[in-house]
Amino acid sequence: MNVWKHLRSWEGFLGLVLLLTIAINAFNSDAFLSIDNQINLFSLSIEKVIIALIMAFIIINAEIDLSVASMMGLSACALGWLVDSGVGMPMALALCLIIGMAGGLFNGFWITFMKLPSLVVTLAMLIGFRGLARVLVEDRSIRVFPKWFEDLGQHPILGPFPLAVLIFFLLLLVAVGVLRFTGFGRYVYVIGINQDMARYSGIHVTRVKLILFTASGIISALAGILFAARLGSVRGDMGLGFELDIITMVLLGGVSIFGGSGSIFGVILSILIVLYLRNGMSLSNITGHLQTGVIGMLLIFSAMVPNLKSYWESLQARSS
Amino acid sequence: MTKKFLAMAAAALLASSGLVMAHTIAKKGMKADLVLMPKFLGILVFDQANQGAQEAHRELQNPGKLEFLGPTPENSVAGQIEILTTATTQGQDGIMISNNAGDQIAPAAKAARSKGMTVVTWDSPIPSAEGEQLFIAQVDFNETGTVMADMALNIIGAGGGEFAVLSASPDAANQNAWIAAMKEALKNPKYSAIKLVDVVYGDDQSEKSYNQALALVDKYPNLQLIMAPTTVGIAAAAKAMQDEGLCDKVKTSGLGLPAEMVSYTMNGCAPEFALWSFVDLGYLSYYATYLIATGQIEGIAGETFKAGRMGYYTIEKDPTRAEGLRVLMGPFTVYDQSNVEAASK
Repeated sequence: MNVWKHLRSWEGFLGLVLLLTIAINAFNSDAFLSIDNQINLFSLSIEKVIIALIMAFIIINAEIDLSVASMMGLSACALGWLVDSGVGMPMALALCLIIGMAGGLFNGFWITFMKLPSLVVTLAMLIGFRGLARVLVEDRSIRVFPKWFEDLGQHPILGPFPLAVLIFFLLLLVAVGVLRFTGFGRYVYVIGINQDMARYSGIHVTRVKLILFTASGIISALAGILFAARLGSVRGDMGLGFELDIITMVLLGGVSIFGGSGSIFGVILSILIVLYLRNGMSLSNITGHLQTGVIGMLLIFSAMVPNLKSYWESLQARSS
Repeated sequence: MTKKFLAMAAAALLASSGLVMAHTIAKKGMKADLVLMPKFLGILVFDQANQGAQEAHRELQNPGKLEFLGPTPENSVAGQIEILTTATTQGQDGIMISNNAGDQIAPAAKAARSKGMTVVTWDSPIPSAEGEQLFIAQVDFNETGTVMADMALNIIGAGGGEFAVLSASPDAANQNAWIAAMKEALKNPKYSAIKLVDVVYGDDQSEKSYNQALALVDKYPNLQLIMAPTTVGIAAAAKAMQDEGLCDKVKTSGLGLPAEMVSYTMNGCAPEFALWSFVDLGYLSYYATYLIATGQIEGIAGETFKAGRMGYYTIEKDPTRAEGLRVLMGPFTVYDQSNVEAASK
């Protein structure tokens, strides 16, 4: 009976969809299950996947950060610009992370101290960070990185795993650990359920939110650096529009847009579904708008299922 | 078979005096799975290139497959990299890329090459040429500059005036090279009366290009001409001028498709524009890629091959880039009221 209950949960539903996707893909293409392909399909979206982890925290906290992809672009462009201007690689990398931290703190300041909605603040910064990135590199692409940096982004460093994938696994462990097993993780949920109640219970709401937005800035900047290493050059439109994919992954993972509920496990399942679906379609030579359309359908469907379930239950309650 | 082949090659060699290397005539029926990748799907010129590639595919009786795969416009850069990486995983034998990702596609192209895949670019090359074996250039990039400068001078007239460029994306290697070539050409005193005032980008999206064209008119009250070296940009700009009733004041020119431009040329909004055949470009790209992927040519400078109905082409060092090889297709056709209707059918 316990198994049945699990299957009826959101994660159980995602798990079924995932298994189905894997089965169809494996049946369709011999290349799908190969190690190379598995690593590649992760590497192609690794920056989004990394940011999705911190985005899950923020949405559970009943906030949103729309500026992540622009911060990614800004950090990548700043790196290119700094190295192009003669700054050494270690210094440039450190400065990019500091830019991420400053950007995150800036968001957090307006949201917590000025009590502005995060939707508004981070929407402004979506435009602001992107604008800065474009000011830095203008209409060109900068290609100045040393070979070791590009190698880190493009070649495996441990077994078949490139650096970015290893960093993702590390951050995944940290995310699960913090959210499930620490007081901070519980605060994130409680604030997401009811911010005022949390404040009266003595939780430092301001501190929790500041930490979350700062972490989001730093991780987005880190993702931007990894993106620059993977592509070997930077330009102003890097990561344009990625915030939508990232938020999509988190919401499909069962994290409520109203805050207070969701799990990293669900987010991982939804990431796998989206990546496998895209990869499977690409391997079957389905690209372009058709691919986008299929993933859109999946989202609508997945948003419908829980609502249909409660609608069905309410119908039954009425008839009895 | 080999003897016959050699005899043909020898005959070709004799026929062309002064060339050291043999002319390769494609052997039909060899298997190569190939992918034709446009900058993105849904653009007429890329569909035409596919038409040409499919024609060559049938002609060469390749038992392999030719796929036409591309990303959506919003996802062009990441999408191109993803398709190239997936093609490598699938074990495709070759890919033909109209590159929209600048040098950002180079790591994926190098990875494809290391797996033995043939990587040829067409329409728009990889600027650093890293990971790319050969670029099929539609026209000489310097000639494009002169053709655009000539059209600008023709339209604006000897009285002189201002014009602006409406390009595709800021990192499109082909458009950037043409604009640079045009700026170079404009230094000639012949063009001293006309002045280039701005370069703006519509990202090859109709709506953005349309708005950029209108913004140019607002910004430069004396503007006489919008020069758009992209088929999307020129059509959008001509439509914008027509919709706003500005055609008498601001003309449109650049690189356009007769089928899309015919009404604007006939009503005077776009009196003159130029283009080459994208069908031929796809056809030639396919021949070169097929020959390299099946090992009939190596893809090195000096090799000459026959591309079916289009005749002989020679691989040379690309003079417009620091590195890289090219095959030059050419030439331009300039369209005006006298010939646009016939070409649009």
